[in-house]
Amino acid sequence: MSTASSAPFPGVPLIPYGHGHVRGLDAAELGTHGMEMDSLVRLGLPTVPGLTIPASRAGDLTDTAVARGAVELLSALASRRVGQSERPMLIRLVASAPVPAAGLPPMVAGLGLCLDTAPALCAAIGRAEVLYETWSATVRSIAEGALGVPADDIDGVVLDNPDPAKRLHALLEMCERLGSRPYPDDPAEQVALAATAKLARWRSPRGRRARAAQSLPAGTPIALHLQALLIGPWARSGHGSATSRDPDSGAFAPSGVFHRGVRRNESPSGPGEPVTRLPGGADLLRAALATLEHHFNAVAYVGFELRDGELALLSAAPYDHPSPAAAVRLAVDLVAADTMDRATAVLSVAPQQVQALLHPQLRLRGGEPLLVRGLAASPGAASGRITLSSVDAVERAADGVPAILVMTETTPADVPGLLAADAVVTTGGGLASHAAVVARGAGRPAVCGASALRVDPVAGRVSADGRELREGDVISVDGRTGEVYAGAVQVRPAAPSAELDVLLGWADDHRRLGVRANADTAADAASAVRLGAEGIGLCRTEHQFLGARLPLVRRVIMAEDADDEREALVALADAQRADFRDLLRAVGDRPLTVRLLDAPMHEFLPHDGDGGDDDWQAARAAALREANPMLGVRGVRLAVVRPGLYPAQVGALFAAWIDVAAEGVRPALEVMIPLVSIPRELALAATDVAAVATDVARRTGVDIPYRIGTMVETPRAALLAGQLAAHAEFLSFGTNDLTQLTYGFSRDDVESRLLATYVERGLLPSSPFAELDGEGVGALLAIAIRRARAARPDITIGVCGEHGGDPASIALLEPLGLDYISCSPRRVPVARLAAAQARLNAAATQGEDAMASMIIPEGLS
Amino acid sequence: MTQPATGTDPHPLDDAARAALTDLVVRGMRRGPAPDLDRLVQAGLALAKGPVTMPTASARTLVGGWSRLPAGSPERERVTVLYHAFLPVNSRLRELCTAWQRRPDGAPNDHGDAVYDASVRDQFDDVHTAITQIIRRLADQVPALARYRGELGAALDAFDAGDTTALTAPLSDSYHTVWMRLHQELLLLLGVSRAEDEALENLLVSRAGG
Repeated sequence: MSTASSAPFPGVPLIPYGHGHVRGLDAAELGTHGMEMDSLVRLGLPTVPGLTIPASRAGDLTDTAVARGAVELLSALASRRVGQSERPMLIRLVASAPVPAAGLPPMVAGLGLCLDTAPALCAAIGRAEVLYETWSATVRSIAEGALGVPADDIDGVVLDNPDPAKRLHALLEMCERLGSRPYPDDPAEQVALAATAKLARWRSPRGRRARAAQSLPAGTPIALHLQALLIGPWARSGHGSATSRDPDSGAFAPSGVFHRGVRRNESPSGPGEPVTRLPGGADLLRAALATLEHHFNAVAYVGFELRDGELALLSAAPYDHPSPAAAVRLAVDLVAADTMDRATAVLSVAPQQVQALLHPQLRLRGGEPLLVRGLAASPGAASGRITLSSVDAVERAADGVPAILVMTETTPADVPGLLAADAVVTTGGGLASHAAVVARGAGRPAVCGASALRVDPVAGRVSADGRELREGDVISVDGRTGEVYAGAVQVRPAAPSAELDVLLGWADDHRRLGVRANADTAADAASAVRLGAEGIGLCRTEHQFLGARLPLVRRVIMAEDADDEREALVALADAQRADFRDLLRAVGDRPLTVRLLDAPMHEFLPHDGDGGDDDWQAARAAALREANPMLGVRGVRLAVVRPGLYPAQVGALFAAWIDVAAEGVRPALEVMIPLVSIPRELALAATDVAAVATDVARRTGVDIPYRIGTMVETPRAALLAGQLAAHAEFLSFGTNDLTQLTYGFSRDDVESRLLATYVERGLLPSSPFAELDGEGVGALLAIAIRRARAARPDITIGVCGEHGGDPASIALLEPLGLDYISCSPRRVPVARLAAAQARLNAAATQGEDAMASMIIPEGLS
Repeated sequence: MTQPATGTDPHPLDDAARAALTDLVVRGMRRGPAPDLDRLVQAGLALAKGPVTMPTASARTLVGGWSRLPAGSPERERVTVLYHAFLPVNSRLRELCTAWQRRPDGAPNDHGDAVYDASVRDQFDDVHTAITQIIRRLADQVPALARYRGELGAALDAFDAGDTTALTAPLSDSYHTVWMRLHQELLLLLGVSRAEDEALENLLVSRAGG
């Protein structure tokens, strides 16, 4: 760095990069760019030579004398001069605001160019057209913004002159003819005009709209920066940007693209080349990103320039939106490096990001034949039949047959097929192809640019790598890896990565709420346990009565006398026992909450025309039909009118428990009675369950360890929780029903017809079925928990509604003093993280003392 | 390349039907009831699949034939020059649509970053300035193309009025949807295939790059 840092003009500060700090200037004067360059210089990282004209004095740069001083200082900083014969310097003008902002005036890159200096620069770059592109862009921006040449005329000239050299001459000629003055040769005059153009642009309607879009004050100033643009040979020079993490794996690895040539605007066209292929190697970039990651405690993002293979940074900032994999792996890495503590790491990853990491993917077992690999254009995974035309895709979808649309090209005619298909594969086109844009817009998995795939729509064949498939054959697509496999592959949520497991382990150490899962089948339960569930908080038994068993349960419900009912129940018992056995094995020694039958009766009754040829059945069904089945004879109420039902279910459950206990598995059974609103209902059901247990003990000699409890789904049950606790060893809030009954909302009706309007008009902040209503439903929960604990201090209390998997709801539930939340298996990791964050955030607001006084229970159930 | 139109037209259609068929080929499909297209369906030029009506392959050939500007005509030469100017802008537009949908590292854009979204929106202005200039000149040769200026502008206006789907949503008249139609119409006018179009765009973009 040169020592030429004193301003040549008294009163007009020109601040070399790295000097802002010692002058006591902050972002308000230096702009975000000046601040970034300051910290890069202080970290000892290689930067582009440059200086800042502070925001409050930016207008001074429109004065040619001030601009001349700035150009002199820049020459001294860069040890190069504009117009020198060997490797001359060019100047770039950049603007930045005191806060990160979009819509800033675009940079002007080709200052210092004139007909005299051009030949030496062309020789240095080796590609004249690259220089002329930059040059004409510079003239265009100054002509429009500072010389008053009408934009329409300029656009016309640009359109008429695809050749950059001709375009430049036409623009220079136009400035002379239509401009307030000709385009100057003097670099200082060019800089002053460029500053005028940039400031005008920031004041223009377009600049105002951009500020409004980001809620920036209309009067937000900008700082101006001049950078020395050192020109080098095309093949060894370029510019690009990179983040410090691979977005897919999250591993530390410079990740981004660079473009050869001279940077002439913010958004280079074309796909560029990966930074791993940087001329001169990526080592310096890697080192800079490593330094910055530890400096920011975040994924780092840099803009850089290469000249003669030499790296110089143009910008550096924490990367605000790292991919979920990058966020998780960074947190784990920073903890390992002792730059972050575990609680901070747990708070640094959003629960939604964890959900994204458990995206659907192909369940590969190894050995699946890879058909082709393309670009991962739209995430998601699907298996389906090869479909070669849009029309066929629409047809297959209408028949309910999964279709994978395989195309060579995308036209508007393919859009319907693309929307109908389960996934899309294209042989041409990139990540920004029309097909990719449409697939992402429609949420379809897509693999694009699978160029090794040959498609012959006429013969109905596709082939790749010597493998040939026919239209209608099944293939499987993973839009996140870009892989296409021949044959069907099962799709399921991804398993947590090793890093995510570590992070979730830390979350488990910091959370107070237990996390269980709602699972009805052995497969769901196994998947929940795999994702870290501590037990099953809700097993709905309804599905055991549907499908092939429906006629049997129909007989129970429609039975006219006790014998008829008993006969039907016996027939059901064996099937249920087998179901429970599989489930209990999957649950292992963990708690399992089995909710006895809770289905509205109409789900079991024959519909019109279904078994309707039987007059007796039809008449009986008509007699049992309800006006409002959701509020009718369901849950414990059905058990009261069909007294054999619950004992039969419990008998099957207990028999299954004895079966698995013989195998050494001892699940902690919890029998849950649904839809109770009268404490006596619970007492009655509990007595029935106890009678079954006694009976089993008498017959088998086995005392089944079980606990009895109830769902709390009605406001009355919540208010009478103290009385319920007399009969219940646990309570579980069914927040879906409790929300319906607290508002008097019928969910099926209001969700489709009302809630969107209510949210739009501000009557509700969000759907209370998605995010718990803290004021109403939450208040009922608080009352119920207080009364239940007063009556029975060791009572276990949980939530098993969908809210149990929603991070915002979990934050509301955390302070209520629940023991656990139970959510769908795939939400378990989200709930684990959200519960830890809720606890940590609550502790932060309550202060250290409150945290210390809280008792964190050892186990949860 | 589509087949050149032959002298014996197997589908005698009146002007309204021709216009409807051209429109259907340019759009690729129509959703919802389309009684005006019944005749085309009966003529084997369109297929009705549930709520969607699509042109058949023979319809695309037919429209390709009658849309094509005559070889060697001055219109064709002028439109070709403008089409060459269109392709780099087309590439830019797709990049911007992609930027709206996913962040630079490939993660989906969750629209939680107002600065990022404002920056993408701001850059649409550059594309829009470039395309309106091109459309204005195209309309000197093919007046019907003038409507795309208004349609694209309407999509941006809708976006600025708060409709965040107006940039890239596939089923509405979003900027990207309208743009695809314009692109398709240019290809029909010049009888250029998608493969040729893609190759030429790559060439023009890489030439302009650096």
